[in-house]
Amino acid sequence: MSEDNRSLKQKATAADGDDPVLQWVTFQLEQETYGINVMQVQEVLRHSEIAPVPGAPEYVLGIINLRGNVVTVIDTRIRFGLQPGEVSDNTRIVIIEADQQVIGIMVDSVAEVVYLRSSEIDSAPNIGTEESARFIQGVSNRDGELLILVDLNKLLTDEEWEEISQL
Amino acid sequence: MSFDVDEDILQDFLIEAGEILELLSEQLVQLENDPDNRDLLNAIFRGFHTVKGGAGFLSLHALVDTCHGAENVFDTMRNGGRQLNPELMDVILQALDTINEQFAAVQAREEPVPASEELLQALTILSEPGDHMPGDGSASAEDATEETPTEEPEAEADESGKIDALSGEGGVDEITEDEFDALLDELHGGGKPAAKASEKKAPEKKEPAASGSGDEISDDEFEALLDELHGSKGAPKPAEKKEPPKKAEPKAKSGGGDDISDDEFEALLDELHGEGKFEADKQAAKPAAKSEAKPQEKPQAKPAAKPAASKPAEAPAAPAKKDAGKPTAPPAETTVRVDTRRLDEIMNMVGELVLVRNRLLLLNSSSEDEELNKAISNLDVVTGDLQGAVMQTRMQPIKKVFGRFPRVVRDLARSLKKEITLELYGEDTDLDKNLVEALADPLVHLVRNSVDHGIEMPDVREKVGKSRMGTVKLSASQEGDHILLSIDDDGAGMDAEKLKNIAIGKGILDADAAARMTDEEAYNLIFAAGFSTKAEISDISGRGVGMDVVKTKISQLNGSIRIDSELGRGTRLEIKVPLTLAILPTLMVRVGEQVFALPLAAVNEIINVDLELTNTVDGQLTMIVREKAIPMFYLSKWLNKKQDPNFDESEGHVVVVSLGTQQVGFVVDALIGQEEVVIKPLDRMLQGTPGMAGATITSDGGIALILDVPSLLKKYAKRYSRR
Repeated sequence: MSEDNRSLKQKATAADGDDPVLQWVTFQLEQETYGINVMQVQEVLRHSEIAPVPGAPEYVLGIINLRGNVVTVIDTRIRFGLQPGEVSDNTRIVIIEADQQVIGIMVDSVAEVVYLRSSEIDSAPNIGTEESARFIQGVSNRDGELLILVDLNKLLTDEEWEEISQL
Repeated sequence: MSFDVDEDILQDFLIEAGEILELLSEQLVQLENDPDNRDLLNAIFRGFHTVKGGAGFLSLHALVDTCHGAENVFDTMRNGGRQLNPELMDVILQALDTINEQFAAVQAREEPVPASEELLQALTILSEPGDHMPGDGSASAEDATEETPTEEPEAEADESGKIDALSGEGGVDEITEDEFDALLDELHGGGKPAAKASEKKAPEKKEPAASGSGDEISDDEFEALLDELHGSKGAPKPAEKKEPPKKAEPKAKSGGGDDISDDEFEALLDELHGEGKFEADKQAAKPAAKSEAKPQEKPQAKPAAKPAASKPAEAPAAPAKKDAGKPTAPPAETTVRVDTRRLDEIMNMVGELVLVRNRLLLLNSSSEDEELNKAISNLDVVTGDLQGAVMQTRMQPIKKVFGRFPRVVRDLARSLKKEITLELYGEDTDLDKNLVEALADPLVHLVRNSVDHGIEMPDVREKVGKSRMGTVKLSASQEGDHILLSIDDDGAGMDAEKLKNIAIGKGILDADAAARMTDEEAYNLIFAAGFSTKAEISDISGRGVGMDVVKTKISQLNGSIRIDSELGRGTRLEIKVPLTLAILPTLMVRVGEQVFALPLAAVNEIINVDLELTNTVDGQLTMIVREKAIPMFYLSKWLNKKQDPNFDESEGHVVVVSLGTQQVGFVVDALIGQEEVVIKPLDRMLQGTPGMAGATITSDGGIALILDVPSLLKKYAKRYSRR
């Protein structure tokens, strides 16, 4: 995955109309930047009180009241195999819709919305831990920074249901 | 099946025919007990006829054939050609079963399987009158049928010609039953029922029931009017008070005689309205009942009047009304059929509103602003009313469930060779639609149990000095905010000792525990999984599954079930369920930093922790409440992730909850109060989390988890005691 290759490609496709542009909301976890498809993001909330649910899986922080609806919030750090972090002023809960359910994911901070052409997205190299690799849809290199694109559907699906049913 | 039929029409048919079939099984059993009831006979005839009509329209030939067979039998019967006997009834019930099967096939959008040859044959044989009595009061249905077509147009022509046709609703317009009733009411003031039945006895009987405010028409008058009509073939004179309408109808039918029998009248109505007449008939069949129910417009009267059905086309009635010069607005369609999902949505939204109101009330409690106070208390009242009204729309009479029992009991009794009467009380009790549906299975189960296990064989009953005929009473009533259902039988009752022995034998119970058990606790053993008192398994009961399912089901509904029994005298089962499932009364408690809601139904009492009253028995903390030792648990140890190191065990309140006959104490840090909450299910991700029934938004905007006591104990209590 050489850098040259990428930039060449980028130039080549800059004017190309049939290379769809996708928008990604980026957020920070530890030092890494992650991106999620903007179409799946409903809203971004400041950290508010989360009611823990006794007996729930470890990565479930609890539930919040989102204008009368009860929404489950999961700790993205634990899901990605990272150490639990402290809640700060920048901590955000991103409300996403994936796999027909609405769920909140807690992240260190939310940065911006970036535009990426499909051609700028590469398949995931073996980054991160085993645990997190499952949820990676691809990576993109922007200005020398690696953006990790998360597949939200995988973040919330299958294995988890099994896991829950085994509890 | 090529279901190219219009889906809408099919749906209408399914709903209407479904209700009729349900009613039929009830009526058939009723008829068996009251074979001479002509109204009933007619109602049944019409039931089959209506289904046949609808099925014919949809080209469901198999269904048509079976209905036709059954209809013919009843036609013969109502013409006096045959007497009801149990054998005949068996064939008819068999036919009804077949129809139900075929109907189910149609529901599944499959081609119904034709009825067996033998059945059709049997029906044909039965429809041959044993001895025909042509002069018998009413003209036979066939006659009527033939007459009508010719006469109808004529009548209508008269009608419209003379009366100058009804505006809006054309001559053949269909009027719903309600409208029809309304019209009748109008016409006769209170005396409607009188008019309805031209039979002599009917008027006499019914008049008292009617409110009497209107002009009641005496029999004679009525007949006179009829005569007049017949004479002049439909000269409904406006002068003629309110009668003309009435008369107009009968006239249409009455072919020859002056006297129209009820039957003829109804038969004609049938003919005239093709479908949908059913209601009308029903109504005609029980005018008295109707007249009482109607004025109040009880919700249950409505369902009976199927909105769908294109009711009796009482065309004549409409004109008549005009005629009578009563300016009352022509009754429009008064019922609307609404998807229950939409009702659920509305219910949800009302739930939200209740939450907002709760919140406002709380915010306001500290405010001095009088204007605001006024507005909020207004909101409070309106929200309450709205909640009640929306709940009302979801209410259905329990009759829907009760209706199937006469048949269930009859069949069971016949197959068990027992003699049993079933008495139903409080059929009109309303409860939430979801509850009605959810209660159906448990109730059937319990009634079957009463019949199978409760009532003894006739010989045995005689020996112990009871009448051969056993009685099962099924009753429903509203008690405050819940519904009480009870099933009573006058059978053998339950033997607590025997139950204990069986439980010990099955390893459900050990002997010591059994010895300490009260009778009531022993009765509750029947709810244990795998418990059965029957040595032999029959197809009716005895597998030892079922009662535990019943119990689970009832507790899922936040209900409770209680058994009371007296050996030799009978058993009483009481089921209590809340009026609605949408709103749950809870006790809010604080555990650590978090608020939890305990369903109020489970809460028995609240006491302060007094460490002097606690003991540790076999590693389990217990406390003595009124000389009874109950296990006690600190909820904070289960529900709080971080344990407070300086947790003070001596402070707090004990909420005593009951779990069946058992009591358990939960220690909580603080009591917040009683609150009605709307249950919000947890996300898919958290569904099935043990101990949690759901969540709710509290009045201060926070979140409280609703605890599910049985599963909470199951998950935590065991683990705890093992440690």
